[in-house]
Amino acid sequence: MSDLLSLLQQSANALGVYRSVTATTTHNIHNANTPGFARQRANLASATATDKLGGALIGRGVLLQSVTQARDRFIERQVPRALAQAAASSTESFALKSVTALDPNGPLPESVGSFFGALRALAQHPGDPGLRQAAVGKAGIMAQAFNQTAESLHQSRKGLDAKMTGVVSEVNALSRQMADLNSQIRSATAVGVAPNDLLDARQRVQDRLVTLTGAQTVDNGDSSVNLKLPQGPTLVSGDEAGQLSTLADPNNNGHLVIRLHDVDGSAPTTLNSNAGGELGGLLSARDGALKTALSSLDTLAFDLGDALNSVHSTGFALDGSSGRELFTVGASANGAASRMQVNTAIVQDASLLAAAGSPSGMSGDAGNLQLLISKEAQALSGGADASGTLSSIITDFGISAQRIASVAEHDEATSRHITGMRDSVSGVSIDEEMINLTRAQRAYEAVTKVIQTTNEMLDTLMKLK
Amino acid sequence: MRVTSGMVFEQARASAEKARGRHQEAVSKATSGMRVSHPGDDPVAAGLLAKHKMAQMRHEAIGQSLQRAESEIQAADGAMGELGNIFSRSRELAVQLANATYNSTDRANGATEVDELLKQAISILNTEVGGRYVFGGRKDNAPPFDSLGNYVGDTEKRKVEIAPGVLSDASIRADVAVKGVGGGVDALKALSDLATALRANDVSGITGALTGLSSSVEQVSSARTQLGTQAHVMQTAIGTTRVARDAEMDAFAREGEIDMVEAFTELSRAEKGLEASLSAIAKSFSLSLADKL
Repeated sequence: MSDLLSLLQQSANALGVYRSVTATTTHNIHNANTPGFARQRANLASATATDKLGGALIGRGVLLQSVTQARDRFIERQVPRALAQAAASSTESFALKSVTALDPNGPLPESVGSFFGALRALAQHPGDPGLRQAAVGKAGIMAQAFNQTAESLHQSRKGLDAKMTGVVSEVNALSRQMADLNSQIRSATAVGVAPNDLLDARQRVQDRLVTLTGAQTVDNGDSSVNLKLPQGPTLVSGDEAGQLSTLADPNNNGHLVIRLHDVDGSAPTTLNSNAGGELGGLLSARDGALKTALSSLDTLAFDLGDALNSVHSTGFALDGSSGRELFTVGASANGAASRMQVNTAIVQDASLLAAAGSPSGMSGDAGNLQLLISKEAQALSGGADASGTLSSIITDFGISAQRIASVAEHDEATSRHITGMRDSVSGVSIDEEMINLTRAQRAYEAVTKVIQTTNEMLDTLMKLK
Repeated sequence: MRVTSGMVFEQARASAEKARGRHQEAVSKATSGMRVSHPGDDPVAAGLLAKHKMAQMRHEAIGQSLQRAESEIQAADGAMGELGNIFSRSRELAVQLANATYNSTDRANGATEVDELLKQAISILNTEVGGRYVFGGRKDNAPPFDSLGNYVGDTEKRKVEIAPGVLSDASIRADVAVKGVGGGVDALKALSDLATALRANDVSGITGALTGLSSSVEQVSSARTQLGTQAHVMQTAIGTTRVARDAEMDAFAREGEIDMVEAFTELSRAEKGLEASLSAIAKSFSLSLADKL
């Protein structure tokens, strides 16, 4: 009789085991779409036999040995780098793709062409007030096109700064979260509990931090994971988290510099050269192609303005006066495209446009206009004329945008492949879980049958007289 | 390979996104007609587009200047033709009235006609085109000849750009062609001398004026030759500039615009691709064990 009661106890345990298997499967199904979730498996084992009947050991049923996660450490080690590279290149590519200031049908080529066209028209009748006004107007439009293009590039860089500020806030919150999770996981592991869902939560946070900063993971060996930024600085160390901050950089037109306040309390590290992920992509776009384009545009505006000014100041206005500059571009190339404007005196009185090559005051003297027109084809500091220089600026920017778009496509494919591999191991298959669910259900049904049979056997025994 | 539900959905998302992106790009090209809308689409073409656009505008502006210069040259040539007629008529009068059969009254009447011809010549030499005096050189805002026939204009020829950076003469020097500066005769003075001789009934003076008038006709004829040459240069340059401008427009279209047949073929292909992608996704979603149990 005691054996039959033992059978009932074992069956009750088995029902508990299959209820756990069902719960685990249900948990998997519930989290089929949860980012970072690694499917769990209820690992069963037969209970060690202790009763001996005759020469045979009689088994004691089933045990729930553990609930573990399906993870592949080899693949998971490749994920952070793939995520970081894809985030960096796609962020930079998106940033450059969204810049329209240097589109081939933008205002600059047309405005420069129109300005020289207006000078040519004026050269055929330099005394005509309407043509003078038109030439001064076209000069203003050209200056405005330089201003607008420079402002647009400047705003794009400012926009990236704003985005960086948001990323930095998110990184700080996530770093703290990751440090806390490290602490909880270490505590749970120390008492022998498998903290599967905490591991999933940390995986989610870790993936996001890697995507944002390009940080790489370092296992501490005590179940906690450190995050190190490219080239060394530590963002998360065990249960301590570093903090990022931003500061306006006077050496970079007030654009933000990102600093890491390390967990060891040392002086802040500047991250501009060693950030990865989205932050790296934002910095690379801001201080790479965009900065180069803006700088080249400034140089073009300065060189062209300077070349035109040097001619204009030696020419003569209708009243015979001389020595005026046509454009204000400042003393250096830095910021020249934003500063460029037509001399206010000339805007107010177009007769001051120095069209004449001699001070005789002859209204049809276009000698200086011809010299101004010749500046269109004159090589500037970069070796090419205005048209060639503008063309180079557009081409160089396009090459940067195209190169990073191509890199982003490749990185995206690599990232998708690696995360797909991870998902292949750790992700949830609904079909598979349905099968597991059915298997657990069938086993549960069978165990209840055992209980029913054992019960009947007990009844039979009880009825013996 | 183990395929999870997440992989199925991620694959579907990526495929749909890619197919939708291709379709959107094809729509954008077909509707805008442009192959390159961002420097990153084709960096070299984008740079060349700016260059071709500016070159096209340069040739367009040169062409317009040339047309204006040509019309001034044509006007100057017409004026010189009229001037030649005046000198021819004056020479006819001189030959006619030098004959002994004419009396002082006839010659006084001739003098009156020559006076009128002189006034007419001065008026012709003060021809304006678009507000510019064509014989004033760079001094184009005031009549180059005063009422007495003195030249008060400029002594330089006007220039026009016939090709980028290349200048050519676009006027003649009226002081040379009419006033004889540099070794010729003063044609207006020849007319004036004739009128004086006719009024004075001075036959030898009339005969003497004939030499000056003949030289004047030659000078005017020479000026017309110069103007004819300049007009020819202008016409050739206008043609060349037009060809250059058209070449730049063609190059712009070649680099930046899309062939519409190609654009719509690509659009059709992208539509089919999107349809196929969406159908495959829908099909894969419908296959689940959960629906069969």
